[in-house]
Amino acid sequence: MSIMEYNGGSVIAMVGKDCVAIASDLRLGNQALGIASDFEKIFPMTDRVYLGLPGLATDVTTLREQFRYRLNMYTIKEEREIEPETFAHLVSSTLYERRFGPYFIEPVMAGLQRLPNGGYKPFIAATDLIGCINFAKDFVVAGTASSKLFGVAEGLWEPDLEPEDLFETIAQTLLNAVDRDAYSGWGAVVHVITKDKAIKRVLKGRMD
Amino acid sequence: MASAEGGAYSYSLTVFSPSGKLVQIEHALAAVSQGTTSLGIKATNGIVIATEKKSSSILIDDSMIEKVAVICPNIGIVYSGMGPDFRILVAKARKSAQAYWKIYNEYPPTKVLTQEIATIMQQATHSGGVRPYGVSLLVAGWDINRGPSLYQVDPSGSYWAWKASAIGKNMVNAKTFLEKRYNDDISLEDAIHTALLTLKEGFEGQMTEKTIEIGVITVPSEADLEAGKIEGTGRAKAAFRKLTEEEVRDYLAM
Amino acid sequence: MPDTAHEQPQQRQFYPYTENGGTILAIAGADFTVIAGDTRQSEGYSIQTRYAPKVFRLTERAVLAVNGFAADGNMFVKKVKQRLEWYRHAHAKEMPLRAIARLIQTMLYAQRFFPYYVNNILGGIEEDGSGAVYSFDPVGSYEREACRAAGAASSLVQPFLDNQIYFKNQTPAPGTPHPTYLPLPDVLAIVIDSFTSATERHIEVGDGLEMYVVLAKGRSIEELADVAGVQELTTRADGDRMFVIQRELKKD
Repeated sequence: MSIMEYNGGSVIAMVGKDCVAIASDLRLGNQALGIASDFEKIFPMTDRVYLGLPGLATDVTTLREQFRYRLNMYTIKEEREIEPETFAHLVSSTLYERRFGPYFIEPVMAGLQRLPNGGYKPFIAATDLIGCINFAKDFVVAGTASSKLFGVAEGLWEPDLEPEDLFETIAQTLLNAVDRDAYSGWGAVVHVITKDKAIKRVLKGRMD
Repeated sequence: MASAEGGAYSYSLTVFSPSGKLVQIEHALAAVSQGTTSLGIKATNGIVIATEKKSSSILIDDSMIEKVAVICPNIGIVYSGMGPDFRILVAKARKSAQAYWKIYNEYPPTKVLTQEIATIMQQATHSGGVRPYGVSLLVAGWDINRGPSLYQVDPSGSYWAWKASAIGKNMVNAKTFLEKRYNDDISLEDAIHTALLTLKEGFEGQMTEKTIEIGVITVPSEADLEAGKIEGTGRAKAAFRKLTEEEVRDYLAM
Repeated sequence: MPDTAHEQPQQRQFYPYTENGGTILAIAGADFTVIAGDTRQSEGYSIQTRYAPKVFRLTERAVLAVNGFAADGNMFVKKVKQRLEWYRHAHAKEMPLRAIARLIQTMLYAQRFFPYYVNNILGGIEEDGSGAVYSFDPVGSYEREACRAAGAASSLVQPFLDNQIYFKNQTPAPGTPHPTYLPLPDVLAIVIDSFTSATERHIEVGDGLEMYVVLAKGRSIEELADVAGVQELTTRADGDRMFVIQRELKKD
């Protein structure tokens, strides 16, 4: 048994035109047994940076608190909020600290990077459980439904999607992928982040 | 002897004198004010830091003396006071910058590094068995959020941001001189000349490329920032660099 | 010095199965069926060949795609073809699709305790002229479906088909229900997208794509006219017609 399958769950993030989206299922399981259908795995780190933590549920909580602590310290010290790319490296170095006794989490990040000219650039990234970063330009996936997410996303995603189309694309990708994964599902949540607002939508999906 | 300079309170730097002073820190400041003059000026498009570099004997190879130090590609510092103490602080500051880089894959903002150095210096004022660092520092740096910034750090661990400042032997005169010369829209080139003029006031002996050192922050253009990304090194062009002897000679000749 | 090496207990074993990668896929339309497979054959990280067909014409109206252990697959197809020839000799006609499906079940289950290490997908035209897909597990459990993906990248492709063929998780606008069957050009586009996606993300998929298209008797072939790389395989006039479309896939 893979440790990722102990609690189950999946996360995906996608890039759109001047926007990003990140989505996850809501299942918390104990192997084959479903425990909760309201277990959120995506957390806002700042207004513009979101972090998804699929994997072992106890580590989801631990890492969320760990990053809350480290980000609060960063924000106070630097007197500003962290940028997504810098945050990705913070995630990476935090996980690598535990190189030989890792947290069983494969983080996924999505955010808007502030540019020197004042604009914003969509940013997504994912790492493995010891912090090796994957800076993809299209989409990143993680969790027990990752292979299914890859297959559907590769078929549905296209460049420069507007926020509403990006929402539809990521929602369809997630729902159809988790419907073929016994360890993921039981509802879903999607966050779409644009420069002036972040929208959260809770989706109804198959509850089996 | 002890009573002449503050009595029983003058040795233990962790004990306040009844007047509310830590006398050892005052002594450290005295050491700084005996050191050679250093100064820094913030310009619209950069910063200059400069110092005089005097050796006690003509037999010393002064090319080996380094008073302006690079901490990381975007930050440089200069000191007045005790050279050996400065060396220790440079080593600690460089380590701190690399530790920050290891976590965030970018170098620290000037303010964060300055605070880091100031903390180290402050710790030396309330730890047992040590003495305060006998230096004042001028920290010049550039970062994407605050742009160019110039800080001064004193042996007590206090720090301030300056538009222009001077430390060391001639600091009072130099500051008065800078106050007269400074304006808010000075260019980096003008600032370098002002720095040289300020140093020249009260300079003993010949001012040459061998007897002064200059470091500059150049605010990177958007193209410079982009270039670092394209080369895939993740590193933008270094904002801080030391001027070569040739460059210093050219500035002196102008 | 006595040699003590042989005093250690030793174990040897022969494992008669291997996995040869690749993916197959079939989609049924109202009056046609598309059966497709990539042509890469691999073992571990080595590519044995870039052209090893996994999709085979059985009769005028039946196509079998077989994926898993290539040696078993090839032998199984050979035996099915042999049984179909015996049937022709005995009955002077081709075996109907649903009968082939049942035959395959019987043949697979006959090896219940030493199975053919393969997933089969049978596609073609039923006697009533409808497109049909039958999918099998290695020991003969089978089902008629509208679409199925099997093989190395089945987990990537199947949820995509659920969405694009069965319209899963999509709500139709009121009064405009989802179609039960898609038109041929749409199906071909979905098959090609599925394989390019699988090629992109799965190392065992790629090199070439073979799509067999079986059209029910009397159906227009217009939709295949402009398709690149199409070749007709029909041998008998005024029956169902069969075509194969060959495409390149990425080879990295």
